[in-house]
Amino acid sequence: MPPGQVNRALDNLRDALGELTIVWWRFVDWLAVVEWRQLVIIWLLTVLFMGFLHTPEPAVWFVFISFGVKVLAGGKRKADIEARQAGVKANVANLEKQLMQAQMAALQAQVEPHFLFNTLALIGQLIETDPPEAARVHAHLIDYLRATLPQLRTRGGGTLGKQCEMVKAYLAIMQARMKERLQVKCIVPTFLESAPFPPMMLQSLVENAIKHGLEPKIAGGMITVRAQVIDATLVVDVCDNGIGINPHAPDGVGLANIRERLQLLYGEAAELVIEAQAGGGCCASIRLPYAMMEEP
Amino acid sequence: MTTALIADDESPMRDLLRARLLAVWPALEIVAEAANGSDAVALAQQHTPDIVFLDIRMPGMNGIDAARHLYSRCHIVFVTAYDQYALDAFEQGAMDYLLKPVSAERLARTCERLRARLARPPQDIGAQLAQLAQQMQQAIPAKPAYLRWIQAQVGGNLRMVSTREVLFFQSDEKYTRVQTATAELLIRKTLKELSDELDPDEFWRIHRSTLVRVDAIVEVARDMRGRHMLRLKGHKEELEVSRNHTHLFQQM
Repeated sequence: MPPGQVNRALDNLRDALGELTIVWWRFVDWLAVVEWRQLVIIWLLTVLFMGFLHTPEPAVWFVFISFGVKVLAGGKRKADIEARQAGVKANVANLEKQLMQAQMAALQAQVEPHFLFNTLALIGQLIETDPPEAARVHAHLIDYLRATLPQLRTRGGGTLGKQCEMVKAYLAIMQARMKERLQVKCIVPTFLESAPFPPMMLQSLVENAIKHGLEPKIAGGMITVRAQVIDATLVVDVCDNGIGINPHAPDGVGLANIRERLQLLYGEAAELVIEAQAGGGCCASIRLPYAMMEEP
Repeated sequence: MTTALIADDESPMRDLLRARLLAVWPALEIVAEAANGSDAVALAQQHTPDIVFLDIRMPGMNGIDAARHLYSRCHIVFVTAYDQYALDAFEQGAMDYLLKPVSAERLARTCERLRARLARPPQDIGAQLAQLAQQMQQAIPAKPAYLRWIQAQVGGNLRMVSTREVLFFQSDEKYTRVQTATAELLIRKTLKELSDELDPDEFWRIHRSTLVRVDAIVEVARDMRGRHMLRLKGHKEELEVSRNHTHLFQQM
């Protein structure tokens, strides 16, 4: 046989095999989705028809092979569906994570322009009248910005001690501006300073207390930050004796954000509780699970 | 002699302005200083100054509202560190204003203008102020009237629950039950009172005894007995939608 003919024959054979594979896999796919009831009817009809032609053997083979394939392919298809579902679940988790990061970025970028401009105005004034005080307020402002602006945020700020430092910087600036109208009390035991605490939550509560509680009050007042452990729960309170919550004022983005982040980080184990104070003013309290340190 | 009053809630800012004025306009007599809007109005009525320097953000009464009491009797100069709306309005209305921290040059120019104006009666800026006051109100509370915080007695404390935390309210004989994702509280306010005070876009009545927060709804499905049952975000209990209220979910 000349080599040209051999090649042509091989090509034809390859084509035929290719067609056959395609048909075979279509058949498998069809088997995977076809209902058992329908399949049984097809088997019966084939066996009857072939039996009528007195050649039942191919029909029997067909039944055997399709039964085997159906059992195996059914499993494959189920696995496919499961894989798709797992993919969706992974997507949801991923989305949640992205959402959280976006929220944190949004929250951390919230340095109020009004606060910034007023503080800079104060520093500008103090440079002339009281340079050492100007230097102090300036240093506090830098501490505050370092902790607040996401671009400048240093890593590892997630302890209660770090969060308190930042709040103290903010409160020192507000004291320089509000003078005798703002008193500050901070009661955080040293052993709690290393306790993990999510960033920007305490800050948000303190800013709320100033902005909605004390600044609108002509006489001003006192803000108290207190951390304690009660029954394996870390309780951090921010209390003020300001004008209190107006029941018709919408709760701000800050509080909603804290609630959402606590939910994402701790599930049901953490909560934000707001209470009205007996003598006016309000108390906001973040409650987190607290793991007691094992003695070494 | 020309007289002036300074109003600012932050005392360092008053000190700065006083010092600057003394340098730029030594003949100007500061007759009084105020730390809030209502004091500013009262002191201005008492001392009748020619000029009033008003900070915009002050407790009690803000600077714009104080100016509305005073603009017909004295020349107003607003002082602010940052207030976008206000600055635009001042520019448009040719009103006098200073930016904090007040610079000597800017203050000198403003004082120059004031000296020229003093002979004439003060500018009529009533309309601009009314508009500005309205703008500032809109900037702060969007919908002021609806109830946004539920007060619940928990032990000896008065818990404030934001309506955003509430999944649903359900009437329970004497009390109303408030369900949040983490807690169940009882309040004395009736469901009728609540539905009158709450934002109707935030809470829907789905049953004689149930008010549900729209945002918390996941889905409505029919159960075996053909009732419409409502599932909520992060809560196991299902709520029944009564026949009269199923129309709320026809589009969903």
